[in-house]
Amino acid sequence: MTLGRVRRSGPAIGLLLLGAVPVLTALQFWGGRRDGDPRAWDFDPDARAEFQFVRYAYGSGGGGGGWGRRRGGWRTDWPDAEYHLTNGIQRLTVIDTAYGGRFFDPMDEKLFDYPWVYAVEVGRWHLEEHEAARLREYLLRGGFLMVDDFHGPYEWASFMSSLQRVFPDRSVTEVPEDDPILHTLYDLDRRTQVPGIQYVWSGTTHEKGGYTPHWRGIYDDEGRLMVAINFNMDLGDAWEHADWPEYPENMTALAYRFAINYVIYAMTH
Amino acid sequence: MFEFLFKYPLAAYQKGEFLFATGWPAWLLALLSALAAAGLAWHARRVRSRLQGLALCAVWTLQALSAALVLVLLWQPALAVQSLKNRQNAVAVLVDTSRSMSFGEGGVSRLEQAASALAERVLPALGEKFSVRLFGFSDGPERLPSLGAESLPAPGDSSALGESLLGVLRESTAVPLGAVLVASDGADNSGRFGRDAMAEIRKYGVPVHTIGVGRERIGGDIELSDVTVAAKALPRSRVSAQLTLRHDGQSETATRITVRDGSSVLVSKPVTLRPGETVRREWIDFGAGDPGVRDLVFAVEPVEGEEFDRNNARRRVLDVPRRRRRILYAEGEPRWQYKFMRRAVHKDASVQLVTMLRTSTNKFYRQGVDTPDELENGFPSEEEELFAYDALIVGSFEAAFFTPKQQVAIREFVSRRGGSLMMVAGPNGLGSGGWQHSEIVDVLPAALAPGETSFVRERASVELAPQGRDALVCRLDPDPARNAELWQEMPQVADFQELGDLKPAAVTLLNLRRGRDSLPLLVRHNYGRGRAAIFASGGSWRWRMGLPSDDERHDIFWRQLLRSLVANTAGTVRLSSDRSSYADESRVQLRAEVRDRTYTHAANARVSAVVTPEEGPPVTLDLRPSAGEPGLYEAEVDAPGFGVYRMEAVAHLGDERLGADSLHVRREGGVAEYFRPERNAGLLSRLASQTGGRYWELDELEGLPQEIRFSEAGITAREILDLWDMPALFFLLVMLRGAEWLLRRRRGVV
Repeated sequence: MTLGRVRRSGPAIGLLLLGAVPVLTALQFWGGRRDGDPRAWDFDPDARAEFQFVRYAYGSGGGGGGWGRRRGGWRTDWPDAEYHLTNGIQRLTVIDTAYGGRFFDPMDEKLFDYPWVYAVEVGRWHLEEHEAARLREYLLRGGFLMVDDFHGPYEWASFMSSLQRVFPDRSVTEVPEDDPILHTLYDLDRRTQVPGIQYVWSGTTHEKGGYTPHWRGIYDDEGRLMVAINFNMDLGDAWEHADWPEYPENMTALAYRFAINYVIYAMTH
Repeated sequence: MFEFLFKYPLAAYQKGEFLFATGWPAWLLALLSALAAAGLAWHARRVRSRLQGLALCAVWTLQALSAALVLVLLWQPALAVQSLKNRQNAVAVLVDTSRSMSFGEGGVSRLEQAASALAERVLPALGEKFSVRLFGFSDGPERLPSLGAESLPAPGDSSALGESLLGVLRESTAVPLGAVLVASDGADNSGRFGRDAMAEIRKYGVPVHTIGVGRERIGGDIELSDVTVAAKALPRSRVSAQLTLRHDGQSETATRITVRDGSSVLVSKPVTLRPGETVRREWIDFGAGDPGVRDLVFAVEPVEGEEFDRNNARRRVLDVPRRRRRILYAEGEPRWQYKFMRRAVHKDASVQLVTMLRTSTNKFYRQGVDTPDELENGFPSEEEELFAYDALIVGSFEAAFFTPKQQVAIREFVSRRGGSLMMVAGPNGLGSGGWQHSEIVDVLPAALAPGETSFVRERASVELAPQGRDALVCRLDPDPARNAELWQEMPQVADFQELGDLKPAAVTLLNLRRGRDSLPLLVRHNYGRGRAAIFASGGSWRWRMGLPSDDERHDIFWRQLLRSLVANTAGTVRLSSDRSSYADESRVQLRAEVRDRTYTHAANARVSAVVTPEEGPPVTLDLRPSAGEPGLYEAEVDAPGFGVYRMEAVAHLGDERLGADSLHVRREGGVAEYFRPERNAGLLSRLASQTGGRYWELDELEGLPQEIRFSEAGITAREILDLWDMPALFFLLVMLRGAEWLLRRRRGVV
């Protein structure tokens, strides 16, 4: 193509590119449903199962929910992670578990109908004051928050800046070896770093400088864990890629076990 | 008047036998009367007269009756009656000298009124014919030289009318006692003047004449006549007491009831007594507090001008033992209901929730266990292991999980051990779990709706059932209106289970509302020695998640419900007393029900008790087996000093220690006489009528000395009392003749 032809067709290419932006964006969003079960979009609060996998649809500092919220990191690994994990919970326990998952905005009142919530990539989350207050109320009523898939000091600092809005007066502590959450169904140790999918091509279990895995948490006044923090780990990827031959099966199994322990702990403590 | 007309007291007619003194046969009297009547009829027909028809018949009737009456008089009617021989019999006179007799009425005490009436109108006449034995009595009889003020004892702190009377009768067995005379206000506050005591008094065959002293109604008085409250409560639980208030019911009266523990007020609330409502029962709730012994005072605020205010308070002892009651909760699947129930009693001082949760097909997660090996092998398979718990909760578990032996053990846990069973709805529980075909179906308060669809995940609102309004379990606020409001505001549950028909004695405390349908949510009933309940939803956790974090409604409800399951569960030894408070009564009837580890009656146990008074050394005594009931042991304990007594019983079977239990009772003094201060005429009348005596008012004693001689007790003689000369017969004859004369005069014959 000559430079002149390019110059002549420039406006058309520009228009094409402009038109492609929303299309690609829509594809990126709806692409998640490419193999999804429509039941995952069932927002009926009277779901016919005791345990529901609920994602915490936080914002990322872009200001509020809606389109911007849906583009956030909260939906990482969705929906395969839910499908695989809930299937595993059904198979390995007697918990009456809904297949798939659902998500709610931080200010959605329906969140109180689900005492277990999962937040992913919280190194990029941002909670406004009113959202932090609502999450604090949710946890104090007896809700349980599991956070996952964030790595390195930068993301930790980012995560903590919002978490401190939730509990300014509570500290994050390492979950001790003998904490019941590591023993509700499986006896688990804390030495194995569950890597994300990048392990498949990088061969390393760490990313973004997060070399050492940490199982941390925030406890309530009665010594019960309210927030379970998986730092420098990516259980979500391990659930999502349970059907990938390349992803280590033992890591997926471990990620399932952690999740099951967390769920049973949330339903017993 | 009666004696003027009929010549003798009514008692003579009641006790005497009617006869004709001439000994002529009664049939001859009847024959002659008939002949006289016939003769008069013949005469009336023969003699022409202006009297015709009915008038003639009336005249003939009057003449015939007159003739019959004259014939009766000729036969000399008389009464044969047993009467006391003069100078050979004794009469016991008992005068109530208890404190209530010192109450003033018109400036004169009841005792002074009684002594004066007896001294002036009764004793002189009695003294002429009988040997008079004077007694005063309060908690027992005491001989008195006279009724003079200098001879009367100080007012006694209690009235034991029945026992004092029995004491006099027993003491007088060597004396020809012809009758007993009791002057009293009828207040027996010993608590032992029952049917048995009355029967024993009757056995002596001595007529007891009673004289009522004092007013029958005291205007404006409010009395706290009773307080019913549990003797024991769990730490920090809520306690409900029933107060019985008596007042004259003449006008509307506003007052206030208060519960105090020492100097601190636990609760206080206003009460308005309505006109016509002489007895009012009022419930009041308060917190049991920390473990220890609460010396509670229940009081009604005196109203203006109230004459007696010492009957406005009652004391009770509330024992709050330190022991946590253990509840075994077996749950078939992890679920939010389990979590939030556990959290509600997490740090409860009174309830320990020991849980076994099925997490996967054959794995269980245990929480709240005391030792690592507790429930290690799953649900208890032996009765002894299960019976170690005070209550049992079964959640979303299918019946088939439990072996037939375990199901029988659950049934016996309720029936024989006296524990509580509560089943909580769930996808695998109740009807969906096939419990309607299990060994425990009879234990449950509902028949259970069968099938997989009995558990439904749909929304429903909760509402207080009528019987739940008064139940402590459902009390979120002491104010009934506010309580109903709090329940109405509860978030909906999102699942429930249909229960089928309820058993006849089942009580529904909470309901679920779905449109127009109402379904039972919390139902309970008694079964054998224990209780059973069903909570027909697994979704009450939404009351926790759906309400602000500082809203305690969910936790309060579950704490109260779980405490109610264990509040009345006894151990192998259950110690009880006939009362929890003894006002001016020192004898405590102690009973211990003893069972072995399988909760079978322990008939050969050795039971001893240590009684520790508030002041003074402890006393140890043995309880003797009851003749009537196996496993029951009894003793009578003397509690002479005032204050709180601790009584602890320990049972052994051979060398094995079966168990122990303790209780506290309060001994009070100088208060009993202020309760029911008005005259108890009913008791005095009953005593007189059942012994052959008569009840007398204080101002009608004239005939008493005369009547008292008609008795079959003592040394008696058969006496024939002529009746032919009684004025009533002559009046009758005159009336008959007068009536005939008047009739004739009206017809112009005379």
